Amino acid sequence: MDVGGTYTDLAAIGADGVITARKVLSTPDDQGVGVVEALRALGAPRGAVERFVHGTTVVTNLLLERTGARVVLCATAGATDLLELRRQERASLYDLGAHHPAPLVPPELVVPVPERRTPAGVQQALTADGVAEVVREALARGPDVVVVALLHAYEDAAHERLLADALRAARPGLAVVTATEVLPEIREYERTATAVAEGYARPGVARYLERLGARVRDAGFPAPAVMTSGGGMRAADEAARHAASLALSGPAGGVVGAAAVLRAFGASDALTIDIGGTSADAGIILGGEALVEPGGTIAGVPIALPRVLVETVSAGGGSIAWRDDGGALRVGPRSAGARPGPAAFALGGTEPTVTDAQVVLGRIGGAGMSGGVLLEPRRAHEAVGALAAALGTPPEATAEAIIRAADAEMARALRRVSVDRGADPRRCTLVAFGGGGPLHACALADALGMPAVLVPPYAGVLSAVGLALAPERREEAMSLLEPTDALDARTFRAHCDALAARTTGAERSWVVRARYVGQGHEVEVRAGPGDAGPEIAERFAAAHLARYGFALPRAVECVALRHVASNPGARVAFTRDASAAAFDLRSRTDHGGPAPTAPIAGPASLALSDATLWVAAGWRATPLAMGGWRLEREGAA
Amino acid sequence: MSARERARERAAAGAAAAASTEVSERLELSVWASTVAMIAEEMGAVLVRGALSPNIRERRDASCALFDAEGRMVAQAAHIPVHLGALPESVRAVRAARPRPGDVFLLNSPWQGGSHLPDLTMVEAIADGDRVAGFAVVRAHHADVGGMSPGSMPQGATELVQEGLVLPPVRLERAGVPDTELLALVLANVRTPEERRGDLAAQRAACAAGAAGWRSLLAREGRERLGMITASLLDYAERRAVARLRAFEGAHATAEDALEGDGVSEHDVPLRVQLAVRDGALHLDFAGSSPMVRGNVNCPIQVTRAAALFVLRSLLDDDVPTNEGIARAIHIVTPDDCCLAARAPAAVAAGNVEMSQRITDLLFAALDAAGVAVPAQGQGTMNNVTFGGAGWTFYETLGGGQGASAQGPGPDAVHVGMSNTRNTPIESLERAYPIVIERYVIRRGSGGAGAHRGGDGVVRAYRVLAPCTVTLLTERRRRAPRGAHGGADGACGENRLNGELLPAKCRRELVPGDVLEIRTPGGGGWGPERGAT
Repeated sequence: MDVGGTYTDLAAIGADGVITARKVLSTPDDQGVGVVEALRALGAPRGAVERFVHGTTVVTNLLLERTGARVVLCATAGATDLLELRRQERASLYDLGAHHPAPLVPPELVVPVPERRTPAGVQQALTADGVAEVVREALARGPDVVVVALLHAYEDAAHERLLADALRAARPGLAVVTATEVLPEIREYERTATAVAEGYARPGVARYLERLGARVRDAGFPAPAVMTSGGGMRAADEAARHAASLALSGPAGGVVGAAAVLRAFGASDALTIDIGGTSADAGIILGGEALVEPGGTIAGVPIALPRVLVETVSAGGGSIAWRDDGGALRVGPRSAGARPGPAAFALGGTEPTVTDAQVVLGRIGGAGMSGGVLLEPRRAHEAVGALAAALGTPPEATAEAIIRAADAEMARALRRVSVDRGADPRRCTLVAFGGGGPLHACALADALGMPAVLVPPYAGVLSAVGLALAPERREEAMSLLEPTDALDARTFRAHCDALAARTTGAERSWVVRARYVGQGHEVEVRAGPGDAGPEIAERFAAAHLARYGFALPRAVECVALRHVASNPGARVAFTRDASAAAFDLRSRTDHGGPAPTAPIAGPASLALSDATLWVAAGWRATPLAMGGWRLEREGAA
Repeated sequence: MSARERARERAAAGAAAAASTEVSERLELSVWASTVAMIAEEMGAVLVRGALSPNIRERRDASCALFDAEGRMVAQAAHIPVHLGALPESVRAVRAARPRPGDVFLLNSPWQGGSHLPDLTMVEAIADGDRVAGFAVVRAHHADVGGMSPGSMPQGATELVQEGLVLPPVRLERAGVPDTELLALVLANVRTPEERRGDLAAQRAACAAGAAGWRSLLAREGRERLGMITASLLDYAERRAVARLRAFEGAHATAEDALEGDGVSEHDVPLRVQLAVRDGALHLDFAGSSPMVRGNVNCPIQVTRAAALFVLRSLLDDDVPTNEGIARAIHIVTPDDCCLAARAPAAVAAGNVEMSQRITDLLFAALDAAGVAVPAQGQGTMNNVTFGGAGWTFYETLGGGQGASAQGPGPDAVHVGMSNTRNTPIESLERAYPIVIERYVIRRGSGGAGAHRGGDGVVRAYRVLAPCTVTLLTERRRRAPRGAHGGADGACGENRLNGELLPAKCRRELVPGDVLEIRTPGGGGWGPERGAT
């Protein structure tokens, strides 16, 4: 289940692999109500559901609204202001008064710890007196959670553990988080900020999962598992202890679902675009898997944990079109959202939106929208007409231009995720989903020179499908600062085994984060028991060449070792439902049932469940036996 | 049909065509702006992911831009304000060298399109068949380009040739064929040739990405229409700038400031500007500013222009596209012999980093005096710190306090003005160099008091573990960042070696155990402090 701000999407996978999908309106005041309603809408009998996975925005909301726990931070003396110093960059290049969001821990809640490690070893030992003083100071500040983050502790966390044990002994039951248990990697700011986010969100996540769990269990469903930012599923009790890894739970599901559909389709590399009411998420799939990388920032807080790479731009169906003081048409970043929504929704919105432009051009039919919203095309014409009059331009041309402006923003986001990773869009399929994805698909493929588009089955609820499919996934990591030429197979195997012993899972894999000596950025390469330094260096050079276009005659060093233990997710059979209504040629509606035999040439608008597909002039749409559609340019082989 | 009727008909047809051009312009401007910005952005991505040195990869001391065949800048992806608007000068210098399609130039001479020597600028003359269709430009600050001190940011230089290898626009490639001898010559004159080779390769890849993007745009739109699009985008940016300046029409004032020594002597280097907003344009006359000085705080005119452009840019909304149109709203006059329009053979390394900061301070002061709402002064320096020992060099710049404004307090611990580079993580630094960071904290209370407080500076203390030389190029060590509208001044910066005060600009030999502490300036406060009389 994907709980969004406007809609709650649900996808159920039966024992036979068949998917059932539902979309209901969210209940923002108490998400649990909507969740239970959606589960009931499924009509599954009590006890019939084996597993329930959901994507949650609870951590995002805690960070955005700054409503998390009171955290006391214990940091190495002399480096107590890391959260305020950040990486020194200003909030805006040209807006000189702009501030970064305030740190999650204000300076008065930071306690200096009299200790110091350097790369050469312990320079100042943490004494018993020092520990006692820090414990006293920390507890005096009335913490919900204490986070201990010390310099160079990724090499040896003895001081962090010493302090954490003393804090727990002094106040049994106190939540204590050490930075290296969250992220045992070099770079003090990112590690400290991530650990603080973990402490800040943990109590709120636990409360949320308990409340939701009770309600769901009462209704006869299993405890809710949660999607992590890395595209894996964790049981509720584990998720509560990995709060920071849920920060980007929401958008990960869509890319994971897209990857599953792409594999069934028989392709391996793709860019993905998930277009909703207020924003569009661009993602990337390489080798059939959603690209997972550490990094990402939410509400000014960097979370340096693995996450499914997603670039979000504020362009969606609700983006508002306007005229600026240079006389130009502009679209967004303001959005009409779900309330008041596009003018055509007749919910009080009067400003023209991208959706209204689609209505004016007849690309979204007169039929109803998701969640029972009825369209009033007249209101869309009025709103777009008023803007066209202000600009002195014809209404239809204005509507087309509104859509092109939104397309341009989305194309830029797609470009960014591909070029930054060295992927060429011209060799990728575009997977377009979400309520608005299929509407913009042809234009985006044209802008990026992409040869084909895949509109997946269940395009409107693909994120929920991704959640249902997600494998159970646990990650463990350790710092491994070692030149590859000093790393023998025995030592490396010992490290791999040590990480593996910390967790459970049927499938095991390891990645080494490595770089050329002296570089500041790492590249991840697969490795495992049996490998030694030279293999890792070789794979690193190949990966560097593929991604950056060159390799160097230079020594390679490892930075960290990460381990992923997973259990496969649900098996799914993508297929058209023979029992559903066949494609309606007159209204061009695809109910997911038997498909038409011939491709449909553009320009044409096809109604899908929970989405609309726009086949632009010069394109043709071919229905797929697995459900969904393939779009290609006319004349393409 | 009479001749007159025919003429009238032609005129009517022309007017209709013009009107329809205008319609498409109004509707498509944001799409065009986004399209060209995307190409520049892509160049930046290619550069940053390919570059070797931390200064480009991590601190992002680099900029990319696209120009049309006439040398007009269509888009720029700038991470660093000091590169703003300075790149057209590079293309002008390259065009004077009669580029052939596919030629790739390298330059850094401040007298021919460069800024200071470490900024190596690469310019590709984009080939479209047998004509040059435009220019892709990538400027990046290299960690060393030779000269008298490691890092090529010397203190005490008095001639340009002391600061490093000087390159007028020279061809690294002729019609796509690399000149390996020239590259070998360049690499033979720098301290870290392999790192330079890697960074130049990344610059080359970024130029190629820009050229490919521009060519595909050309193929899609056609030469004539692309020319029209370029003209529209520049006009649009100019319109937005002029619309903003019109709000201050008639404003005028004079302001003065000074640099604290030129690196050779401690004497002030006075600056003066007469500012006027007239006919929607910003007129700046620097009469009364110091002649060229002996040390290396001089700057070529394009750095002065970049500072002016940054100040104007900060008055505009963030979404105004960055192209040459904005610069049309700025008119600059300097005296013949002026440190703000330096000529050969002056030394300029510090002008780019410190003089540029002082020019922005000067212009903001003039705007404030003219009644335009701007923040109080920020730290006004980049606090350049360079260490050099046996086989290693390390360069970084430090943030400080931003000035407060009518809207609120000044941000703490950031770069203000013409830089926005990131800090070096303590853990990375300590692993790479024989240095321990003893303290890296906010310098509490260093921001000026006021109704809105100025931002605080930082304290960074380095204990060195090996013999080395340290070079400091800093400012605002005796002339504090000024408060505005009754707000107090920010605290001056301080440089200390084992507790002893050091000059703002100096070079010292350090022995193991020595502690260098840099305390960066706070920003000025805004408005009288509540309760103060």
